[in-house]
Amino acid sequence: MSKVKTILITTLALTLICVFFTAALAVTNEITAEKIAEVQKEAEMQAMTRVLPADNYVVGTVQVADADYYAAMDANGTVLGHIFTTSANGYGGEVKVMTGIAPDGKIIAIEVIDAADETPGLGQNATKKTFWEQFKGKSGQLSVVKSGVGENDIQALTGATITSNAVKDAVNKALTAHKLIKGEAENNG
Amino acid sequence: MADNHLSTFTKGIVKENPVLRLVLGTCPTLAVTTAAFNGVGMGVAATLVLLGSNVVISLLRKVIPDKVRIPAFITIIAAFVTIIQMLVKAFAPAIDKSLGIFLPLIVVNCIILARAEMFASKNSVLPSILDALGMGVGFTAALTLMGMIRELIGTGCVFGLPITAGAIEPMLIFILPPGGFFVFGILVVLSNKIAVKMGKKPVKSLGCGNCQGCKGCDAEGYPAGEETAPATSESKSGATGVNITTNQEVAAAEGELFPNDKAITEIAAPEGDAVVKAQAKEAVDTATELKKGEVSDDK
Amino acid sequence: MTSNIITIVLAGILTENMVLAKFLGICPFLGVSKKSNTAVSMGIAVTLVMLMATAVTYPIQVYILDPFGVGYLQTIVFILIIAALVQLVEIVLKRYIPPIYRALGIYLPLITTNCAVLGITMLNFTNARITNYVEALFNALGAGLGFLLAIVIFAGVRSRLEKSDIPESLKGLPITLISAGIVSLSFLGFAGIVG
Repeated sequence: MSKVKTILITTLALTLICVFFTAALAVTNEITAEKIAEVQKEAEMQAMTRVLPADNYVVGTVQVADADYYAAMDANGTVLGHIFTTSANGYGGEVKVMTGIAPDGKIIAIEVIDAADETPGLGQNATKKTFWEQFKGKSGQLSVVKSGVGENDIQALTGATITSNAVKDAVNKALTAHKLIKGEAENNG
Repeated sequence: MADNHLSTFTKGIVKENPVLRLVLGTCPTLAVTTAAFNGVGMGVAATLVLLGSNVVISLLRKVIPDKVRIPAFITIIAAFVTIIQMLVKAFAPAIDKSLGIFLPLIVVNCIILARAEMFASKNSVLPSILDALGMGVGFTAALTLMGMIRELIGTGCVFGLPITAGAIEPMLIFILPPGGFFVFGILVVLSNKIAVKMGKKPVKSLGCGNCQGCKGCDAEGYPAGEETAPATSESKSGATGVNITTNQEVAAAEGELFPNDKAITEIAAPEGDAVVKAQAKEAVDTATELKKGEVSDDK
Repeated sequence: MTSNIITIVLAGILTENMVLAKFLGICPFLGVSKKSNTAVSMGIAVTLVMLMATAVTYPIQVYILDPFGVGYLQTIVFILIIAALVQLVEIVLKRYIPPIYRALGIYLPLITTNCAVLGITMLNFTNARITNYVEALFNALGAGLGFLLAIVIFAGVRSRLEKSDIPESLKGLPITLISAGIVSLSFLGFAGIVG
């Protein structure tokens, strides 16, 4: 009898603790979820204004594989370009890149928004502006080289060829997606 | 009594520093200290979790049945970790980004469970708060120090501010995984030197083995240590009659790892063949060089 | 599909080695690597628990936590599952396969709070290579084998250290850490092998 009682009390205590703390988590989630979403949205907006400053960002309507995109417009509704968020596999995990592309297909600017899983000091150098500068004005499909940079080549980061390739892959995805959107727009127009 | 409280707080900072003296929580210590800022972030996050779990466990210490105390502790700790994770995501997204998976992994940080088992479950709330704060400050200080050393030598900056950058070519290896091991090893040597000077025993082994092996992590079948008095002058007023059959603090201080494998880190030095000696000498030389490098870079 | 699985396993063993590159599971790595036979047992036990933990947690996240919008319970649910699982395995082994229990038994409780196990169950969802259940299982296998390889190599290094003349202040933990650094350095050489 007393054994049964012990088991019951033990189970009850553990269950109560679990229930109470799960409830506490649910409450915290309620409070923070909105704020977290807001923070992420805010960070995204800030990155977008850096990549392609505009008055208005409209979520893209054409379905493109592997990419989320926005159309950047000025106050009059003229499309200044498109902003794509794409990702590719780097050395330690996913590398996320935001690419701004002008209507003529040339890259306006890129920003590596997430390379947290890359090696500090090597791959994480991909988050430095000097690396992003290389992408400006390029179009078509890019490739990464270690030396002898040609027209559509990107100089690899020292010791981080895989990360450099990941950034390039992500940017190429954006360029492909841009082409697709352009094609779609012309068909409709 | 006030002295007692003060020592409960201060012991975690120097005498029983969780990283350098108890050698708990080695994983985050090595992993996130690639920059001083990350060390601070990790330290503060872990301190908050420790504070929360110590308070709640201390409050509930008479309610939680002994048999399920470890699952109960883990639930409480995991809840606090998740709460802190959400708060960090909402209010300090930069820290969330740089700590990555190590933020949720605070749940398995030996320090938290060890303090719950060794201190909070035996003491009343006020000492538990002081213990959590002391341990937290000690953890944060050790992590920040290590982050500063690695960042300085590895990138020439501290907290992102250039110090030797430009003047001295940074040694990248220090922010890569091997550098973590090297710097931690050398910090333990230095802390041992200081400890010996102060008449304390040097740390010869890991503390977390004791925590992981603590009686609570399993039901039976694990050879637990004998019950002895706490190593410090912890207040006994909160004793609950719960039989804590581990003795991590003493064991950690005495360099014992697993009771069943006592000699794990005691290194005997009988006659060895020349090759082995030469190789070991190489390793030691490398270590000495590293140490020199560290000293000269610090200047 | 096959090539992706090979990539996942190789990455887990070499370039993304749990211990030497990701700093997960340092405690057992440093603590149970004194003798190579205990190191092998620990490595096998960790691999098994990682596989089982992934087998259970992956579907729970995908089919229970995510659909109900309670993804934030991940940490608490996973750690309790791992703790329960380890207990269960221990009881089953003890009852039905005593020889294996005698070989691995004492390592099992140590694994509950091993951050490598909880780590791999969480990394299954952040690693972009992992898109389905099978890949997650192979990810766990690769990570486990990587842990096994690292701990066995390190046990070899330490058995050599035992016989050598080490300066007094480096004896014990410091020299262990520094040797671990050198082993980790050698694993850096694999960088770039797996694309």
